[in-house]
Amino acid sequence: MGLIQRSIEAAGIVTISVSLSKTITAKVLPPRALDFGFPLGHPIAFPGQVSLQLRVLRLLLKYLKEINTPGTIVEIDLTGNDNLTIT
Amino acid sequence: MALRQKKDKFIANLLTKYPRLLDKWIQKSEFIEFNDSPWTQLEREVNQCRVTLITSGGVHLKSQTPFNMTDPAGDPTFREIPANISPSDLTITHNYYDHSDADKDINIILPLERIQDLKQSDDIGDVNHRHFSFMGHIMHHHIDTLMKDTAPNVAAKLKSDKVDIAILTPA
Repeated sequence: MGLIQRSIEAAGIVTISVSLSKTITAKVLPPRALDFGFPLGHPIAFPGQVSLQLRVLRLLLKYLKEINTPGTIVEIDLTGNDNLTIT
Repeated sequence: MALRQKKDKFIANLLTKYPRLLDKWIQKSEFIEFNDSPWTQLEREVNQCRVTLITSGGVHLKSQTPFNMTDPAGDPTFREIPANISPSDLTITHNYYDHSDADKDINIILPLERIQDLKQSDDIGDVNHRHFSFMGHIMHHHIDTLMKDTAPNVAAKLKSDKVDIAILTPA
C-alpha cells in the first residue's frame, strides 16, 4: 500500500493512508499515515459501525491538513479524545 | 482450491487473529525501505476537494476478472471501481488476510458508502467517479511492475480526473 501511496503522491495528489503495521509503514515511509490500532482486514473499523467508520474517515481528512512533515505516522487512541503519538 | 492457496488462507487467518504472530512474520520479512517521502502540499480546503479511495484489499466487481491467486508473487494489476456501485456488486479475491468481516460490510476496506456520506455532509467537495483496488500481496518481480507501471498508471488516471485527495486503505 505504501508503494502505491508514494507513487500517487509523487504525481501531485495529496494522500493519506491507514497503517495496519507501524513497523512496515515506518520502513516504506508514505507521506502521511494514521495508525488506529485496528487488526488486519479492518482499516476502517468493523462491520456496521457506521459512526466509527465516519469518525475514522474524518480523522484521516483532519490529519491530511495537519501533517506538515513528510513520513509522519500518527498513532490515534480511539478510546480517548486526543491522546496522540506522532512519529 | 489448491493446497498452497489453502495454506495461504490458513496463515492469513492466524496472522489476523494473533497480532504477535504478525509481528514475528514482519520481523522475518523484507520490505523495500526509504529514507524520505514524496510530498504534495494540500492547496485547497478539504471541503472543496475531490476525493478518491484506493485499497489493496483485493476488492473488485463480480463481473471483473479476479486477482490472480495462483502466482505466489502476487498480482500487481488493479481494478477500477465505479463510485456509485452497490456493495452487493463487489467481491474480494485475496487469500492473504481474513476478509470475512469485509465480506459482511465492504466499507471497512473500501468505504464507498461512507465517503458518499461525507459528501452529503459537506466534509468533502466531491467523490471521484471511480475508485481503485489492488491486491496487496505483491512480491519479487511484480514490485517493479507495480512501481513502474500500474501505480503510475492509476496516478495518471487520477490526475486526469482532477482528483485532489486519495485515501488509501491496506488490508
